[in-house]
Amino acid sequence: MKLQLLVSTGILLVALLPCHDCRALSKSPPAAASAPLPPDFLHPQPSLPVLLRMGEEYFLRLGNLNKSPTASFFASSSSSSSRLPPGAPATNFFRAAVQQLQQLPERSLESAAGPGEGEAESLPREAMEREKRSEEPPISLDLTFHLLREVLEMARAEQLAQQAHSNRKLMEIIGK
Amino acid sequence: MASAFRLQCHCILIFLAALKGETRYLEAKGAGEDEPFLLLSADLKRELAGRQLYHRALRCIDMLSVEGQFTFTAEQPQLHCAAFFIGDPEELITLDYDFVNIDCQGGDFLKVFDGWILKGEKFPSSLDHPLPTSERYIDFCESGNIRRSFRSSQNVAMIFFRIHEPGNGFTFTIKKNANLFPCNVISQTPTGRFTMVIPHQHRNCSFSIIYPVVIKISDLILGHLNSLHLKVSCLFVS
Repeated sequence: MKLQLLVSTGILLVALLPCHDCRALSKSPPAAASAPLPPDFLHPQPSLPVLLRMGEEYFLRLGNLNKSPTASFFASSSSSSSRLPPGAPATNFFRAAVQQLQQLPERSLESAAGPGEGEAESLPREAMEREKRSEEPPISLDLTFHLLREVLEMARAEQLAQQAHSNRKLMEIIGK
Repeated sequence: MASAFRLQCHCILIFLAALKGETRYLEAKGAGEDEPFLLLSADLKRELAGRQLYHRALRCIDMLSVEGQFTFTAEQPQLHCAAFFIGDPEELITLDYDFVNIDCQGGDFLKVFDGWILKGEKFPSSLDHPLPTSERYIDFCESGNIRRSFRSSQNVAMIFFRIHEPGNGFTFTIKKNANLFPCNVISQTPTGRFTMVIPHQHRNCSFSIIYPVVIKISDLILGHLNSLHLKVSCLFVS
């Protein structure tokens, strides 16, 4: 009886104790934001680079082998564009892109809850985290080339507009 | 006869300077932005110099190809954001932090990367870039008080940032500087012509296009060193 009581108490303590390595178990970013994070959270945690790079794995896991991320992106953008004013294509595009990218880590957090539990008891010390820092994959963005080309086209349009504005100002100055 | 000999000497000197690659400096300088303003009066030049810097708000996912000042303010927790910078092939990107208000201890970060990195793939690659991958990341939370200015090694760069608290954000200024001998280049446009000159440097260089294009190498001059084998490869991007 006493042994069972001790075991159940130990399990409760392990589950309820704040653990920085247990961020994979948190449900939502705002809830996670309330807890203070160590400054080297990003580097030692194997979950974050995996989350950022899990785009393909995420889509494969959902059975989207033949469905490119751009197809899903356009599906969301076309559905949202009907609700937005026609004069805001750029805003719609970036909102859809951000929503798509933000959905990846949230769902990946839930899907990673299983293997994340096994890591709850690992990496107890900062020294071990530093050793693993060099082994971690670099921070990168899981953006498709199609989206990259889209934002590049927008950047070029902005550059041309800025150049046209400068030329107009120059002509006004010269005309004085 | 003396004038003919002098003319020959001048031609030889010009030829030698061209071989050393120094004429490219003159070409870049002559094609600068100040040339059309030489005919303007001092008042007009002063008025042109006083033009305000381009300023706009930065988005969570953004691409910048113009100079100016850009401000990001989080309206909600933004955990996965990045901004790409790209210039002309003969330009370098310079980023200066004007104002930064992030909570590094709370999990926010602001990192500059020398190049582009997508899905773990870096440009320039680790083989082509002079710095190791770890040194290509400049973390503001680690070196913000020491280093608030960053210059890229090629015409592209990017930043990663995460902000938990709404209202926090940062402001930076992007400027472009001339790169006389670009080595690693990402092209902004799917069409055009580019000449890469690598004077007397033993290094790997690259030219990348993120569009499906056909690349034709019209002229290729490689140095030779004893038994160095010349290798020419054509890249087709689809």
